[in-house]
Amino acid sequence: MLSKKNAILAITLAVMGATTLSAQVLAEDLTIGVRAGPDSIDPHWSTLGSQAESLRHIFDTLVGVDKDLQLQPALATSWTPIDDSTWEFKIREGVKFHDGSDLTAEDVKFSIDRIPQVTGPMSMTIYTKSVASVEVIDDYTIHVHTNGPAATLPNDFIRLFVVSSEIGEGVGNEQFNSGEAAIGTGPYKFVSWEPKGDLVLTRNDDYWGEKPYWENVVRKEIPNDASRVAALQSGEVDLINYVPATDYAAMQNDNRLDTFIADSVYILNITPNVKDTLPVKAKVNGVEIEANPFQDLRVREAFDLAINRDILADVVLEGLGKPANQLMPETFFGGSTDLPMPEYDLERAKSLLAEAGYPDGFEIDFACTNNRLPGDAAVCEALSQMWARAGLKVNASALNGTVFFPAQQAGDFSLWLSGWGTLTGEASYTYGSLIHTADPEKGLGAFNKSGYSNAEIDALLEEGARTLDDDARRALYEQVTELSMTDRAMIPTVIIQTVWAAEAGKLTFEPRVDQETLAYLIQPAAQ
Amino acid sequence: MLGFFIQRIFQAVVVVIVMSVLVFVGVYAIGNPIDVMIDPAATQEIRENLIAQYGFDRPLYEQYFIFIGNVLSGDFGESFVYRIPVLGLIFSRLPATFELATTAVLIAAIIGVPLGIWAGYKPGAFSSKLIMALSILGFSLPTFWVGLILVMTFAVNLHWLPSGGRGETSDLLGIPLSLITPDGWSYIILPAFNLALFNLGLLIRLARAGTLEAMSSDYVRFARAQGLKESTVVGLHVLKNISIPIVTVFGLEFGSTLAFAVVTETIFNWPGVGKLIIDSIMVLDRPVMVAYLVLVVLLFVIINLVVDLLYGVLDPRIRARRSS
Repeated sequence: MLSKKNAILAITLAVMGATTLSAQVLAEDLTIGVRAGPDSIDPHWSTLGSQAESLRHIFDTLVGVDKDLQLQPALATSWTPIDDSTWEFKIREGVKFHDGSDLTAEDVKFSIDRIPQVTGPMSMTIYTKSVASVEVIDDYTIHVHTNGPAATLPNDFIRLFVVSSEIGEGVGNEQFNSGEAAIGTGPYKFVSWEPKGDLVLTRNDDYWGEKPYWENVVRKEIPNDASRVAALQSGEVDLINYVPATDYAAMQNDNRLDTFIADSVYILNITPNVKDTLPVKAKVNGVEIEANPFQDLRVREAFDLAINRDILADVVLEGLGKPANQLMPETFFGGSTDLPMPEYDLERAKSLLAEAGYPDGFEIDFACTNNRLPGDAAVCEALSQMWARAGLKVNASALNGTVFFPAQQAGDFSLWLSGWGTLTGEASYTYGSLIHTADPEKGLGAFNKSGYSNAEIDALLEEGARTLDDDARRALYEQVTELSMTDRAMIPTVIIQTVWAAEAGKLTFEPRVDQETLAYLIQPAAQ
Repeated sequence: MLGFFIQRIFQAVVVVIVMSVLVFVGVYAIGNPIDVMIDPAATQEIRENLIAQYGFDRPLYEQYFIFIGNVLSGDFGESFVYRIPVLGLIFSRLPATFELATTAVLIAAIIGVPLGIWAGYKPGAFSSKLIMALSILGFSLPTFWVGLILVMTFAVNLHWLPSGGRGETSDLLGIPLSLITPDGWSYIILPAFNLALFNLGLLIRLARAGTLEAMSSDYVRFARAQGLKESTVVGLHVLKNISIPIVTVFGLEFGSTLAFAVVTETIFNWPGVGKLIIDSIMVLDRPVMVAYLVLVVLLFVIINLVVDLLYGVLDPRIRARRSS
């Protein structure tokens, strides 16, 4: 009897041992269901956000960013301007590529020089446009010579991925996708990938920084929201990003899942066209008028005051939004903490319209995207209803991005809503593109399609670009933010918030403002 | 017979040319692919360089003839988005779609035709009425909704099957397939069934209508008078006579299932060509769109050809007419 009991005990123990063992093995691996992945394994191919997010696992950037997009050392340990057109970067010593070779200044120079040769339609030359030449001083020092003062060069280099110079020239997407040239210094090594398929990674045990916890990581691309949620619920994946608002509400009551919520860098902004003639003219009582009402600040202000941002955030976006009063989060470099949050004041909006000569309001077309950011089309329709209460007839049309962007570029819209993310974490990126007068020669105002032009703001932005002192520059950009927002050059509405969801008790991480889901920053949940 | 082939090939060439012109004009009318793809922070100079680099600043006819010239030398070009040859890109995804569509139409045929014949053979029976009611559901319920219900039931709630993806594949003659392993089957069965539903409904109705008509015809009466078993009458004579419309529809449906499996592929995250093509349309990746549509046209031509040849096999009268 005793021996039988012992045998059962032994078997039970063996089974338990095996289960715990397999649980431990499983716990080392992480499978993430992501909405979008890279277009190539070549880190110099595209500026796409999901491209940078994926390749950050394999390659390190010269300059790093923390979760609030503020600069921190990465492959460069320090950077200093040594004169008006030269930046000195000190390269970290003792860093090894996945093939065992050492990282040197040559690799950094090679990477910068390589970008114009290999980059695709989402051109990475936007990050190297101010670089005139790169000079290797010694193995761990480079001097970057710029075309004139380039105060934001370190910000541009947060997307400068360093590849090994040993891969040689003429290597493109095919060699990277096969893994042959996918040699970085990052926390994970490349295993396999195919377009729209899974990105498989394995831990780099010789990583120079903090060693990641998960040994094997698979990033599965699941673009469909419902399928991604189902994959998590069925246990196919451990973590998903971009949980839709409707599922978020249900998940909060589901103790099998943990959710993580964070502000994103994306803000939905309204742009009124202030050119002398509108592409689609405004109508008063059904009759087209020649004048452009948006040239009057009172009209722009009326449009702003008629927006109830709390409703947009809490009802329209189902709680996944936050009212915005400027084009980027106020904590970013050059954001203003002094700007008041615009008050919802329908009466004042109506009287401003009357003062401007539109007591009965007017009719105007309003375009927006319907597939770029969560809730973009819903916010668009809600806005047109809010403006209707101020006596305006706004014809909202939500368009597919494929149709919207070429039309926006061609200047076909009178009033539009579009999302903008300040991906570099500082003001010149956003205000230089959207608010500065469109000026191809200076390379500024590339996305200013509204015809807005304010000499004072232009001068401040240009002075900022020349000012290498951080505090002085920050003050200039704060002024730009305050001036342009008070002048309603654009009207920000809501900051989009995003949600991650994971199997309960499996993992923990701090959501990043750029929404990147980085396996090496994810920790197992405390037991 | 040779004339028949030449005529078909000629037709295919005309369709391919018309279609490539349509795609070119269509993409041109929507706008410049660079404007869809470009990063917001790009300067005007970068934008213009890109447009020149990809030749979008040239007149449309010039872009078209450059493309045709390349195709004639066997080069369909490179994808704007991935910069890898489009044929390689499409063929890396095609086996998955092909396998899914084939499994789906086979499920539809193997289940649908016998059920339809039964419903036509015993039109009054309760089972027949049930079959007909289900067939209506088959082609009236939207595919994406049924797909989600299947995922919720079998993957999320019951945990019997995976919610999506393709699982491990094994190579058969160098082509990666799921159908060889049980693990592969667990991944393919839900999407294939989802894709099969519409065709299932269609084939049930076709087989029933044909059988109803055939049962009252003279040859069935003679066959019965001859003392043949009912199974032989239905399984041989009736089946053969109702086959022509079924084969026609089967062929067409196989083609469209293959070309437009995208809804099912999206829900089940099946790594097929449908998802690739939708993404390419979204960013106006013209080389991928053109190459894919050319392949679809060729596919339909081949399927129709096979269907025509099958007519001859099934019906001696057509065989006789062709040879005379």
